[in-house]
Amino acid sequence: MRADQLKSAIKASLAELVAYSDELRDLDQALGDGDLGITVSLGAGAIIEALDELGDDATPSEIARACAKAFANANPSTMAALVAGGLLAGSKAWAGRDDVDVAAAAEFVRAAGENISQRGKSQLGDKTILDAILPAADALAAATDGREGLAAAVAAAERAVLETQNLQSRRGRASWLQERSIGLKDPGATAMWRYLQSWEKAGVLAEGAR
Amino acid sequence: MKKIINKPEQFVDEMIEGILLAHPDKVRTPGDDRRILVRADAPLEGKVGIVTGGGSGHLPLFKGYVGRGLCSGVAIGNVFSSPSSQQVFEATKAVDGGAGVLYLYGNYGGDVFNFDLAADLAELEDIPTRTVLGRDDVASQPKERKHDRRGVAGILFAYKAAGAAAERGDSLEEVAAVAEDVVEHTATMGIGLSPTILPTTGALSFELPDGEMEIGIGIHGEPGIHRGPLETADEITDRIVGALTEDLALESGDRVAVLVNGMGATPLEELYVVYRRVHQALAGQDVAIAKSYVGEYATSLEMAGLSISLLKLDDARLELLEAPAQSPFFQES
Repeated sequence: MRADQLKSAIKASLAELVAYSDELRDLDQALGDGDLGITVSLGAGAIIEALDELGDDATPSEIARACAKAFANANPSTMAALVAGGLLAGSKAWAGRDDVDVAAAAEFVRAAGENISQRGKSQLGDKTILDAILPAADALAAATDGREGLAAAVAAAERAVLETQNLQSRRGRASWLQERSIGLKDPGATAMWRYLQSWEKAGVLAEGAR
Repeated sequence: MKKIINKPEQFVDEMIEGILLAHPDKVRTPGDDRRILVRADAPLEGKVGIVTGGGSGHLPLFKGYVGRGLCSGVAIGNVFSSPSSQQVFEATKAVDGGAGVLYLYGNYGGDVFNFDLAADLAELEDIPTRTVLGRDDVASQPKERKHDRRGVAGILFAYKAAGAAAERGDSLEEVAAVAEDVVEHTATMGIGLSPTILPTTGALSFELPDGEMEIGIGIHGEPGIHRGPLETADEITDRIVGALTEDLALESGDRVAVLVNGMGATPLEELYVVYRRVHQALAGQDVAIAKSYVGEYATSLEMAGLSISLLKLDDARLELLEAPAQSPFFQES
């Protein structure tokens, strides 16, 4: 995928993601402070706007960096800062690239996850967004084709989200609920899953896309 | 709970409002969020900015050290709570004069989390940052785990030295190196006699039976290394100075700066009784005091107790301590 295709694909997928913001708000109201829906909807809008303003010669790394900056500032919160830091780490993993394929996507998602883990002092199983990010990165890394990789990543993230229902929240505001958090889906992990689904729904990967 | 406050949840904001009203020539708030203060003349073009921050309840720490020759800005949290990453980021933007920003604050998990996030946000705005953590509390970790120690009153020395370095035009790398060097040569130990009551919850910061003292206590009431019957001022001082000189490996002929700091409810008289003994104890080891500070520099609301900090000096560190500085709570001329 060339940089200009990447830009359109991100915009199309974010337009789909907004449809999930009520679901994310409700999940976050049960476990956190309920601002995830607005973080996602305002963040998506801000990224689309920022990408429209970005020049046609922007590299994939520059595109990712612009996404990070727009997301951080749209509706500032700890979650927004963590995601922005993740996107920034991903943009560094893409330094020097002119185009991206499924292996590059895997690298990006992995770098973002590692940064979020380090910044948030969180591990797999703490019932956070990481629980969906890391399996998705593994699924992308195992694929050779973009469409196949995306489908596998969506499936892995969905499994992970369902598994978070059995987990107790260990990070952030949700951890205050302790065992009462068991039985609820993690909003952050759900957001990652829904975002991957949005890529599928936007239909931005052509047959055989790498 | 007897406190001179209005609504507990307005305590922090009303305190900041008071500072702004009392010292409009020295500090200002750069935007709508009153939890961010910067020096009145920030940003200084071409000079490194220094942002600090942490929970409220420690005045003059942290917000009291924003001024000329000190920190450039501060992000202020609730009582004993970290400021948000966004507040740190806003402070960063407000003090950036194009030469980068040093994050200098005490080593506490919540603060590290939010400052690190803010560093990512700053990087997205092309503002380079460096981080140096105050970690002077020798009672919080043994010397082998020095890097995990908590930051307490001794961060004053790092503020003073790094602030002077930034003021004279040092680069970000140089200012960070100055701060790191000072932190590396600073050691603090405290003693607590009675706890603080947290204004929002009414809870005690720690519990201590009548007639007992806790040596090595942290500025949020974290447990120390020795609890026992209250001793005399000289005995307490000897314990603490002994631990500090050993930690810094002070030798005959060395020079130090001394900070005897009240935690909020200990009279200045008692601090001077202790300073007298610090002087005697160091003189006995042939260690000279080249600079001394006695008073309230880092408190824990109305906690009774004090801390002693030593900074091992060389010419460079002493020169930076002696450089001019001015904030609403600190003056060096």
